[in-house]
Amino acid sequence: MHELSLAHDMTRIIGNALGRKVHLDRVNITVGPLSGISPESLRFCFTEIAKIEGFGEPELVINQTRAKLICLDCDTEYEAKDFYQGCPDCGSISRKILSGREFTVDSVELEEGND
Amino acid sequence: MCDDVIEQKIDITTSVMNKNDLFAAENRGFLKGKGIYTLNLISSPGAGKTTVLESMARYFGSRMAVIEGDIQTRRDAQRIEKAGCQAWQIETGGACHLDAHAVKHAMDNMELDSDKLELLAIENVGNLICPSGYDLGENLRIGLLSVPEGDDKILKYPSLFSTINVLVINKMDLLPHLDFDVDRAIDECRSLNPDVIVFTTSAKTGEGMEEFCGFLENQFSG
Repeated sequence: MHELSLAHDMTRIIGNALGRKVHLDRVNITVGPLSGISPESLRFCFTEIAKIEGFGEPELVINQTRAKLICLDCDTEYEAKDFYQGCPDCGSISRKILSGREFTVDSVELEEGND
Repeated sequence: MCDDVIEQKIDITTSVMNKNDLFAAENRGFLKGKGIYTLNLISSPGAGKTTVLESMARYFGSRMAVIEGDIQTRRDAQRIEKAGCQAWQIETGGACHLDAHAVKHAMDNMELDSDKLELLAIENVGNLICPSGYDLGENLRIGLLSVPEGDDKILKYPSLFSTINVLVINKMDLLPHLDFDVDRAIDECRSLNPDVIVFTTSAKTGEGMEEFCGFLENQFSG
């Protein structure tokens, strides 16, 4: 549900970075699997908000990363695509989260016709 | 024709939570300057956040102030005021979580200069998902789970229960009537969050509240 306010934040960040509102071809973002964000819900919200805010109908390209975790039982460092994936070596789900909560606007691509 | 169309890629590389995190850092610095220890209380609707805060209000009295977050109505702030604490109600009007800017705005309207004031409790909007991504500037994040919700909820809402410092299992007075396995809930929370500190309470009967409030007191006076 908070994807709607996050979509607003994304257009604010893009507007600030560009200094103007312009139709975009593509918006590239990164979403970590532990960020609590539903990529499909975000895509739905962003499509609407981008249009309303004057950024056209850009394609939202979501780079879904994997989380990096370290097992607290056997010290194995491993990657996971969600909270539930345990240690591949010992099966424990006791772990420390090293990364996976990231959510960034990476870049935008715009098309400009030359006169 | 295509030749005179230039593709431009512009690098932005900005965390979407950046603005919230800056306000959160500002809140944290402001509250530290005033010597106020701050809690962010998160649970589903109806888990007993306000009843826990009423019980805390009786323990801490004028040493505590409360920010209430709800979609609508001042009901919770009125309950806290009646229990003896200063309270400010944020009505989000639809937003499913509080953010650090809303908390800053609330603090601007509150009387936080009293020397007596040691604790600010922020009751988030009842929701186990959205509030988990927003740092409000708190010192301690508390997740509240009530017995009627079921012992299986922790792994269903990992984005919250992996980020809390303290788990409070509330409505323990109802335990004899329900199939809630306290050990399972605690074990599953520790599997996501090995350092979590656990309290079991009934804000209604007062069970466990003195221990919980004593723990909070030690955080800011210890």
